[in-house]
Amino acid sequence: MAAPTSLPDRRRPIGSRLRSAILPVFTGLVVAYLFLPILVMAVFGFNDIQGRFNFTWQGFTLDHWANLFGRYPALNQSLINSLIVAVISTLVATTLGTLIGLALTRYEFRGRGPLNLLIFLPIATPEIVLGASLLALFVSAAVPLGLPTIVIAHIMFNISFVVVTVRARIAGFDRALEEAAMDLGADEWTTFRKVTFPLIFPGIMAAGLLAFALSIDDFVITQFTAGQTVTFPLWVYGASRIGVPPQVNVMGTLIFLIAMVGIVLWVVLQRRDMTARPTTMDR
Amino acid sequence: MNDSNQGGRRRRNPFLAVGISLALILAACGIDPGDSAESAGAGGSAGASAGAGEPVGGGDPEGVLNFTNWPLYIDQDDDGNSPTILAFEEEFGIDVTYSEAIEDNASFFGTIQPQLDAGQDPGHDIIVMTDWMIGNMIELGYLEPIDIERDVPNFAEHAGETYLDRSYDPGNQYSVPWQSGITGIGYNPALVDEEITSMAQLFDPEFIEKYCGQIGMFSEMRDSLSFALLYNGVTPEDATIEDVEAAQEVLLEQGECVRGYYGNEYAQGLADGSLAITMAWSGDVFQLQFDDPDLQFVVPDEGAILWTDNMAIPKGAAHPNDALAMMNYVYQPEVAAQIAEWVNYITAVPGAQEIIIENADAAEAEGDTETADYLRAVAESPLVFPTDDMLSRLYSYKVLDEEEERQWNELFQEVVQG
Amino acid sequence: MPAWLRRHSGLVPYLFLLPGGLWLIVFFVIPLITTASVSLQEGTLATGFRLTFNFGIFPEAIARWDDQLIRSLQYGLIVTVLAMLIGYPMAYTIAFRGGRYKNILLLLVIMPFFTSFIIRTISWKFILADQGFFLGTLKDIGIVDQGFRLLATPVAVISGITYNFLPFVVLPLYVALERIDPKLIEAATDLYASRFQAFLRVTLPLSISGVFAASLLSFIPAVGDYLNAELLGSRNETMIGNVIQRLFLVNRDYPEAAALSLILMVGILVSIFLYVRLLRGQELTV
Repeated sequence: MAAPTSLPDRRRPIGSRLRSAILPVFTGLVVAYLFLPILVMAVFGFNDIQGRFNFTWQGFTLDHWANLFGRYPALNQSLINSLIVAVISTLVATTLGTLIGLALTRYEFRGRGPLNLLIFLPIATPEIVLGASLLALFVSAAVPLGLPTIVIAHIMFNISFVVVTVRARIAGFDRALEEAAMDLGADEWTTFRKVTFPLIFPGIMAAGLLAFALSIDDFVITQFTAGQTVTFPLWVYGASRIGVPPQVNVMGTLIFLIAMVGIVLWVVLQRRDMTARPTTMDR
Repeated sequence: MNDSNQGGRRRRNPFLAVGISLALILAACGIDPGDSAESAGAGGSAGASAGAGEPVGGGDPEGVLNFTNWPLYIDQDDDGNSPTILAFEEEFGIDVTYSEAIEDNASFFGTIQPQLDAGQDPGHDIIVMTDWMIGNMIELGYLEPIDIERDVPNFAEHAGETYLDRSYDPGNQYSVPWQSGITGIGYNPALVDEEITSMAQLFDPEFIEKYCGQIGMFSEMRDSLSFALLYNGVTPEDATIEDVEAAQEVLLEQGECVRGYYGNEYAQGLADGSLAITMAWSGDVFQLQFDDPDLQFVVPDEGAILWTDNMAIPKGAAHPNDALAMMNYVYQPEVAAQIAEWVNYITAVPGAQEIIIENADAAEAEGDTETADYLRAVAESPLVFPTDDMLSRLYSYKVLDEEEERQWNELFQEVVQG
Repeated sequence: MPAWLRRHSGLVPYLFLLPGGLWLIVFFVIPLITTASVSLQEGTLATGFRLTFNFGIFPEAIARWDDQLIRSLQYGLIVTVLAMLIGYPMAYTIAFRGGRYKNILLLLVIMPFFTSFIIRTISWKFILADQGFFLGTLKDIGIVDQGFRLLATPVAVISGITYNFLPFVVLPLYVALERIDPKLIEAATDLYASRFQAFLRVTLPLSISGVFAASLLSFIPAVGDYLNAELLGSRNETMIGNVIQRLFLVNRDYPEAAALSLILMVGILVSIFLYVRLLRGQELTV
């Protein structure tokens, strides 16, 4: 998988080593750039603020870590709401979107053009219009606003992103593999389960990640469809009028750390899995 | 099937209009979207304020209250509960759901407008909106009239004169103040050589040149236009459309050197030195002064704006009696003091100041000097308890009818967005 | 698969399409029709709106807001190009050099988005502050002069939008690159192509569907973005999204807001159409 070269690293000329270091270094720099504001956010979670604003460094304190979940119950609830919405909408949207992706790339049917349009349009529509018109729909249908309506809205805009992301993967999938499996006696469902799905899974996962991130951070559409429910971005935006408490920084940092721990665990588990079953496909 | 928006009825939310038409079409096809279509017919043209209608209240509380407010706008203890709310729940046996769902007047209004238009219960018994939005909602018939003499007697008894009978809600027929604040000029003496005392220092060409790129203005149309009006010597409440056009000229001239038209992000600019001089809110500068005591807030000679966020009951709210009980409760000076101690904006109850000083003394006696100092700072700050001199120079926004508002908005949008 | 389904195998794609498609129709198309209708209405909140088929609003809106429309398309284009320049090498590295850590790296790319947008922006404003540790140091050394600033400039807005949409670019690119068999590249180099030539003639064309998807996923939302312009820009960086926001919420001029939204959508669709023609002959997504 690495640069095709036959010399062991030690003996490769400096130029070649430098050149092949460019990409990883570049990637490292970009990741650092992505994380820079997160670092600042984490640091300000330790700021010993005197007033209510958290803009300038005043001093170090662990108070906000100590009093994290007790201090602002509304903030906690908003975080929980955001997570619930994100998980549900990601699962549903990824499923629905993958199905559409499969249909689009593997089957013949009429209405392909309009369908493509239907998928692009939500991405192209300003969120405020999506939100307001959806609100009117809910009101005229007398649907009470709250978590369910937020989830509905999030699923709606996520489907498009999932389809666009997943299609590239499904499109390049080599049908010959499926045919081989069926030649060997597998029925359609087994083929899908054991051949197709694992191979397109990276695309599905990428799409799911994207959907989750979109949902967690969504502001405008959520604002219109939330009613009295408050999600994390909504709470923070409202609080920023008076002063965003450092607990928000701490929570952000905590989410990060938990994700990091999750990743480390995954790596460990994957390694164990691989050493135990060397025939697992590593692509 | 005949009640579509092409017929006689004029719906007030265009999205809703078509939505209801579609719902009716669906109903005709056998899919029933619920009762809203019928009730919308009844509630929709509940006209504007010709005759406010029967005030709500005068009955017993039902034991439930949905109180929706801005974040961090009520006192909080370290467990994240509001002592005021807890005490209220205990005294009245009312179960309060306190929600901090309001981030912005316009967007919050946008989210409840369809329900108000359809005559549905918006899910909030008390909402807190800024004075101009209250004026708009009154005009649209979206607020329940209240009888303050009967149901909120503490208001008449304890509220300061400045807060009675304001122009946006004459006679307090619909709302009572929650907290007020001053829109004035904030500046950083480390970056500004002279003392700021006048609007001229925000608008005069020589001054603008000097601090070009470090000046902040508000994106809120009423604030910025009012400032320009005051600079031109016009009282905002008396402004004609010609006055506003002249004010717009001033703003357009100034625009080159304005770093940004802010909502509340100016606070960070003032704190980190990006802004030398900016429009600012009293409460924000009070907080910033904890971190940087040198920052100044000033009410210019020509005047500044006193705005008020008000409690009101939206039309169709389910528990008006409970709402009125809460409104009355917070106008007791002790309660007002408790809230003011935490929120640090301007309370409508001047009597709270004394109580805060008493609390400061009590804390001192117990040896808690940190709290005592803090409470004294609150009680003595002109940003929380403005002096009479300041109050004499504070003006309200003009209450705009729809045509005026449209014109003002159009003129201002050109300033802010080009 | 049940026998009846096998017999009607032509139904299968429709079954797959049904749940998602229906969802979009109910929760997107119907509201969209509402929007279209609103754009043709006239009136105000107090006096009510009437459907007058006021098509004149479209040329009016374009004439009034042409600067912002053009600026938004420009910014969208710049953002897409920048995001592609940054994101493609990243996706390439993850796909071909990531090995075991592929998924982790992908997660790392997405993770900044699990924190609130407001906090990230506050942090960026701290980093890029006129006298902050970054610019402040540069000014002290004398590399830039005192009046220089990054915030409230087009640079800040474009950087902010690019930062926001980088994952949208990296993920689809990764998806497309990841399925390329490295043996193909090896074969090319065996046939005496240089590494660069191998990239240009093997990898890039094979990844074009990813490039297409990535550019759409960044261009389209970037054009309609408003938060970055609002928080990081000044008046001169106003984008069409800001205008629509203000028209809708502050002016409550729903018809013009709806009309502008439709204009924005058409503008985007036209751009995509041109883009597809540009890439004609390449294998996009099927």
